Amino acid sequence: MNPTKDTAGNAPEADKAKERASKNPGKRAGENNNMPLAEYAALNIADIRSALVAGDLSALDLALAAQAALEHLDEQVHAFVQPTFELAQTTANEIDSHNVRATGLAGVPIAFKDNMNQQGTRTTCASKMLANYQSTYTATCVGRALAAGALPMGKLNMDEFAFGSSTETSAFGPTCNPWDIRRVPGGSSGGSAAAVASGMVPVALGSDTGGSIRQPAAFCGVVGFKPTYGTVSRYGVVAFGSSLDQVGPFGRSVACVAATMDAICGRDALDCTSQDVSFSYEQAAHAGTEQGIKGLRVGVVSGYLDLPGVHPEVIAALQGAITRLQQLGAYIQEIELPNAKAALSAYYVIGPCEAFSNLSRFDSVRYGYRRAGADNLGEQYELSRSAGFGAETIRRIMLGSYLLSSGVYDTYYYPAQQVRTLITQDYERAFEQVDVLLTPVSPRTAFEFGEIADPTQMYLSDIFTIPINIAGNGGLSLPVGLGEESKLPVAVQIIGPQFKDFNIMRVAAALEATYDIQRLAPLVQEEHRRTAALRPGEKSAAPRPDAESKPKAHHDDTPAAHDTRLDKTAGEVQ
Amino acid sequence: MDTEHTYLDETDIRGIATYARIGLSDAEVASMTTDLNNIIESLRPITEYDLQGVRPTFHPIAGLANVMREDVLKPGFTRDEALANAPDVLDGQFKIPPILGGESA
Repeated sequence: MNPTKDTAGNAPEADKAKERASKNPGKRAGENNNMPLAEYAALNIADIRSALVAGDLSALDLALAAQAALEHLDEQVHAFVQPTFELAQTTANEIDSHNVRATGLAGVPIAFKDNMNQQGTRTTCASKMLANYQSTYTATCVGRALAAGALPMGKLNMDEFAFGSSTETSAFGPTCNPWDIRRVPGGSSGGSAAAVASGMVPVALGSDTGGSIRQPAAFCGVVGFKPTYGTVSRYGVVAFGSSLDQVGPFGRSVACVAATMDAICGRDALDCTSQDVSFSYEQAAHAGTEQGIKGLRVGVVSGYLDLPGVHPEVIAALQGAITRLQQLGAYIQEIELPNAKAALSAYYVIGPCEAFSNLSRFDSVRYGYRRAGADNLGEQYELSRSAGFGAETIRRIMLGSYLLSSGVYDTYYYPAQQVRTLITQDYERAFEQVDVLLTPVSPRTAFEFGEIADPTQMYLSDIFTIPINIAGNGGLSLPVGLGEESKLPVAVQIIGPQFKDFNIMRVAAALEATYDIQRLAPLVQEEHRRTAALRPGEKSAAPRPDAESKPKAHHDDTPAAHDTRLDKTAGEVQ
Repeated sequence: MDTEHTYLDETDIRGIATYARIGLSDAEVASMTTDLNNIIESLRPITEYDLQGVRPTFHPIAGLANVMREDVLKPGFTRDEALANAPDVLDGQFKIPPILGGESA
């Protein structure tokens, strides 16, 4: 736990413990583990802090309630590829025995995208290639969350190696959108978004290379934040595009996301691109709700809403947010981003090239899947890589391999880096005029499984998020309610200048406070009604709704595809 | 997207796959040829820019200096930890098939 993050100005721990003991005489940790599902699912970090301080809940109560929520809900959602209940309980007991502090992430159930190393877990990247990979060390972002007192509930599903926008490329089968299990949760951090939207955890970590936090957050109606590149250490997070990747949180509210950022951000000697952060995200969000945003300048991008394929519900959501920002006293200003139109092309040069380079480490020698029966080393590489990687991963590797080949490099790779300069300059100019930009997150709401089969069409779902990774800025996906017709979550994106993420937090918190929207997917209430209280190990006898409509994994080329639990892949030649 | 654009044929695809150490079946070569041609066509905006005199950006954070540290010896992985995830191990070392030999040698 990190005492320097105490912004609440609380009394010393000893007094707290005494206070707690006198309020709840005779109550032991773990006794309050029959918390109703809907009650647990609605907890945010502020609730958890005050319940811990008051002695109404122990960290173990929270670990057990989270475990029960997973056991009740995840069969429908499949957000988790690996629960870590024992680790959570051990951590909870440590927190309880050291007196609970109302700081950091103490007692907050959390889960990690499965591209983040955590000692004591497998880190699979939802790939057959790493299905049995045991982490030998812990990623800095994970380690910091745990040091702040978070309870690790498990590892979350994703698109294989983060290549995708729907979790459909996961080798362990897709995650379902908790708002409609026939639909995708978005991706690549779809498991993270779905775990929060279904109330299984109040916060989760994901990673964002081209929209992989913000788009699933939008599809699932939770807050998702990609910080400025360099804000969170990438050490221990399996690399996709090293100049684009950034770790960030999902949460039930802007305040939850801000508190998680304070725990995980800042310079790390093990990632030389990581930077010192000189402000508190939580205080910045607090400033938004307390002091408002009167006089702040908000840019809207000319022509963005006229792009083909932008859904009317997305347009309505953005216009609604603009009106609310004006009512809060913000100035709205039109901004030109003339080179944003080339961002998608630049991204599909830079991303695959970096991925090709990063994924060359999977040699089936030091770790990873090995296909037996090769006569020589070269053949073993080819057999193992083609059997271990899924179709989209192979497509990206092939694309990178082509784009970096001699002669082609000068046609695409080098010009893409030049276009990157132009795109970045667009944003620099924009932020000379405004404090934040307001844009859509995704052109549409969550789509159905199998609806988008053409890879180039799938890539279009990231047109509003990709430019931010190209330029390195921070961006936050804020849910603003349900589409009038679709009844699916819709969101807006708030973008800030590099290393001024406090602008984003401030505007997001102020705008969020103007909405009174449903935070949890209806499936939580449905499951709650079936079960009066949550006890780990007890499951509701009622059959799962729409059990037949849950999609099956479509990767026939991976034997692990129809297994939803990693254990089932054990025993294969790794 | 149409599939008229042919930047790459199947022979090119096989060459790229060899370079990327990916084994592809004939059917996979065919579908990969279509997919990559479509994707490469979608990259066209990059080639249509006048980029004379524009510096490249290889990294999103501008104006940073190199971060240096003292070269201090510190413990890393033990041998057992380094070998923990290896598919095949012999006498405390990674075991691989022959580098030469077999049909494709």
